[in-house]
Amino acid sequence: MNISSFPGYHGKILQIDLSKANISEKPLMPGVAEEYLGGRGMATRLFFDEIDPICDPLEADNVIVIATSPLIGTHAPTACRGHMVFKSPLTGIIGSPNCGGSWAHAFKSSGYDVLVIKGKSSEPVMIDISPEQVKIIPQAKLWGLDAHETTDRLTADPEKGKEYRILCIGPAGENLVRFSSVMNDKNRAYGRGGPGAVFGSKKLKAIRVSGRRKIFVKDEERYKSGLDQSQYLMRSAPITKRLMRELGTLGLIKLIDIIEMLPHRNFQDNLHRDDDLDKISGETLRKTILEKASACYGCSIACQRRTNVGGKKGEGPEYETVVMTGPNCGIYDLNAIARAHYRCNELGLDTISFGGTLACAMELSEKGYIPKKDWGQMNLSFGNGDILEKMVDLITARKGLGDILAEGSYRLAEHFQHPEYSMSIKKMEIPAYDPRASFTQALGYMTSPTGACHLRGGYAVSLAFFGGTKEIPRFSLLQSPIAIRNMQNLGIIQDSLGICRFTGFAFSTEPWARMASGITGRNFSTARMEEIANRIASLERIFNIKTGIGADEDTLPMRFQQESIIVGEKETRIPEETIVKMRKDYYQARGWDEQGVPRNLQ
Amino acid sequence: MKDKHWKANEALIHLFQTVGRASLLYDIQDSHCGNMVMRWIDERGKERMAITATGSQKGDLEPEHICFPSLKETDFGYYKASSESDIHAKILALEGVNASMHCHTKDLIIDTLDDEKKPSRPEPFYPTDPLGYYHLGGIIPVDWFALPSGSPQMVKVIPDRLSRHPVTLVQAHGAFSKGRTLTEAFFLQCVANNSGYIVRMMKKLDVDVEDLRGKIKSDPHAQFSYPLHEYRIEDDEACQFPKEEELVKEFYKTGARIFESRLSAFHTGSVSIRGVNTMFYAPNASMPREIGGPLLEISLSPENDDTKELEIHKFIYKETNFQAICHCWVPEAEAHAKFRYPGESKALERIIPIDAEGSYLYLVIPVLPPVHDIETFLQLLHDYKVVVVQGGGVWGVGSQSLSEVLHHPSSVREICLYRIGAYERGLDLRKMEPKKAHNW
Ligand code: SF4
Repeated sequence: MNISSFPGYHGKILQIDLSKANISEKPLMPGVAEEYLGGRGMATRLFFDEIDPICDPLEADNVIVIATSPLIGTHAPTACRGHMVFKSPLTGIIGSPNCGGSWAHAFKSSGYDVLVIKGKSSEPVMIDISPEQVKIIPQAKLWGLDAHETTDRLTADPEKGKEYRILCIGPAGENLVRFSSVMNDKNRAYGRGGPGAVFGSKKLKAIRVSGRRKIFVKDEERYKSGLDQSQYLMRSAPITKRLMRELGTLGLIKLIDIIEMLPHRNFQDNLHRDDDLDKISGETLRKTILEKASACYGCSIACQRRTNVGGKKGEGPEYETVVMTGPNCGIYDLNAIARAHYRCNELGLDTISFGGTLACAMELSEKGYIPKKDWGQMNLSFGNGDILEKMVDLITARKGLGDILAEGSYRLAEHFQHPEYSMSIKKMEIPAYDPRASFTQALGYMTSPTGACHLRGGYAVSLAFFGGTKEIPRFSLLQSPIAIRNMQNLGIIQDSLGICRFTGFAFSTEPWARMASGITGRNFSTARMEEIANRIASLERIFNIKTGIGADEDTLPMRFQQESIIVGEKETRIPEETIVKMRKDYYQARGWDEQGVPRNLQ
Repeated sequence: MKDKHWKANEALIHLFQTVGRASLLYDIQDSHCGNMVMRWIDERGKERMAITATGSQKGDLEPEHICFPSLKETDFGYYKASSESDIHAKILALEGVNASMHCHTKDLIIDTLDDEKKPSRPEPFYPTDPLGYYHLGGIIPVDWFALPSGSPQMVKVIPDRLSRHPVTLVQAHGAFSKGRTLTEAFFLQCVANNSGYIVRMMKKLDVDVEDLRGKIKSDPHAQFSYPLHEYRIEDDEACQFPKEEELVKEFYKTGARIFESRLSAFHTGSVSIRGVNTMFYAPNASMPREIGGPLLEISLSPENDDTKELEIHKFIYKETNFQAICHCWVPEAEAHAKFRYPGESKALERIIPIDAEGSYLYLVIPVLPPVHDIETFLQLLHDYKVVVVQGGGVWGVGSQSLSEVLHHPSSVREICLYRIGAYERGLDLRKMEPKKAHNW
């Protein structure tokens, strides 16, 4: 056990410069951990200090930081999640995905807290990290393999006593698809914003970790009181004790339809037939393709689905994937969706952006803006489930029209001179909740630091519809700015603690505050964690401003401003004046100026 | 005088009906007892009293159950009016009084019963809670009457008592209150009964009530969190954010629940939701569905004329990210906050739920003394989201919604009820408290 000056951490940052093939260590400064906690906060701070904000995301200057937290390595529930920060090739602003599985825990067990990767290798490499040594190993023979094959190769024949965990990209990352992901444990993804392409641009195929280093807990009693509390509450709350295990996230699909928020045909409307939804519901998945529920390291919630479609085994699909590649493309074929999802995991594609980009292509085609001659062999009509899996391959290989789709929906629509058909914010595709059905969700998408993301921008849907006592009005101008700021802050805290969002269905920050304070021996009260969250939100914003974006980008696509959907028997849209008002109030709630610039710009 | 002059306008009938129903809901009437009275100017400009008819059902008043006898002379109106009409006519003659009310305030009645040989002069009732102390002047006179209903003796004594006190009690019968409005008279009845209820709960918990009364008498500020502002009668109907339809509905729902579940006496407590520059504020949080109360939009910046209660809302918002606040004078919590474990002299610092739901929700609820530093208060709100203040009510905060903060006083009430009930049965609370809660 390593007793560092900051309990809960080993006190070491591992730095790799791929251009120079240089490996170094530097101490983790306790002040940074005090002010940014870990995970998302820590990664953002270190990234900010290392990167030139106007660099080309696909060049050597881009920096990748993966950070753990003080809770990782303890028995804190779901404390398995790593957080990655980089400049996104999809959006040009901060990329900030979070991922479960087991890699982050294994990385921390190798004796390091944070990994910083810079530069660019001239040939494909992998990084091999263990407590004994860190190596950069040429791996040309892995280049071209999918994420599953890569993982199998790199975990075969472990050295005695070692267990390897793999983070890697598939061919999508190698081919610089702008929404390619980095895969962990084969099927867990650092998904959004194109981290796979950043790895690919650096010719970094994989990072293998192993080790058994433990961390020191300063105040066992305090930590245990929080741990007991959290476990007790998770065993009591229906979503964490049972629902996620039984239905997975896909169990939400009918609920989201009932609240008229489920997108259809590139967000053109929110109308679905009940029997269509029956074909793709969580209940149907359970009855048809589910083999068993599974879980990330240290998680008792177990929302993951191990499934089998016609003999092919895989994981998922999750709610977001099903809706974005399903109803949002007019498709209600669970098998086709699941197969496409498996393929996305193998090749390393973000399924939300994949679905959003394909839906955009379908609408452009339907409206005649993508000429038939460009379709190749594909019939790009809404509802055509046959093309799903093939489109994953085409995009990954950047073949034909797939080459333009690989750029994401915004560049695709712009290429065909109709950017208004890209349902994206800051060039990132909007996830599977129609913002017209909730002001708060709309504002969350608008102000998410990474572009439209329900996780970084705030999962307001849960607030509005299944938040129990926390449910808020859907269309309150007064309440939305602070509600979404608080929701975002809770997300920042969870991401910085390295724990899963779904614990939020059982409890908020209080048990975490006890655990974090107990582990570190420092005062991480809920009030301090909120301060930290505000600090991180401002730092992310500052970075984005330095890349050149401003208030004008904190908006919604014209469709949501001009075209109505029916919600609660009323026609609803989010007109410009509402956007402007909510945005202004949100900035003020954050303590930023009228242009959304943090006053303490640093 | 023609019958048509007995026809009150819709607003008056509505007010009588709604206050009548609320008094039944709050359980300070029985089906046919009590009465409500208001000064009324008829179409000819003549001063009358609008009074409920004798034997009318206060929970289901029809227009014909409101009578309008003259205030100046005996007229036929008195045939139908309540048997207490003479008393009320004299109450209305008091300066500044426009309404009065008589209710069977059961808890107060029970607590002031005695088995002395009659005639005797009962002891006054001294409230031990801040609402009773500040709104009732710290004392409710209690009188015994040989004929305790509409007797000449009562006509003489009760108005006299009310010339000096807001509420007076007829032993074994009920309370009379005066008001500038009918809602104020009702407010005082609720506060008086609430005080009676709190004392009864304290006695169940073996709190030394007489000792507490002595302390209150010698230094009330050491026993209560802050002096309460006077009941306001202005703006009762005001809604300053009508465009926020969903929120307005939420406020009324929350207010109705607070009242119906007796989380705070009528028109006491406060709830708010904050925006960026302003907050929406219900200063009289406990609002029966049909009566409502003011819904105000208020600047978040401190103002000179802010009440102490409003000051605390603004302070919490200034110092934290919370979006919603609820403050209720939960009577069970007020009583329980003064509890001491048998054989222990230490003031209570935390209430540990012994019921399943309570343990699931809270594990422990911190209790602060009446005088405390504000940093500790904020810290506890951060850590526990709900704090019971001795002589200061229950404060709950939430990061999102009114519903979230309403849950706090509602749960605290239930948690306290179970503990009080268990103690009353002679059970050992220490043994029943989950062990791990002592660390949480
Ligand atoms: S709830 Fe699901 S995503 Fe979260 S840690 Fe558990 S298995 Fe992983």
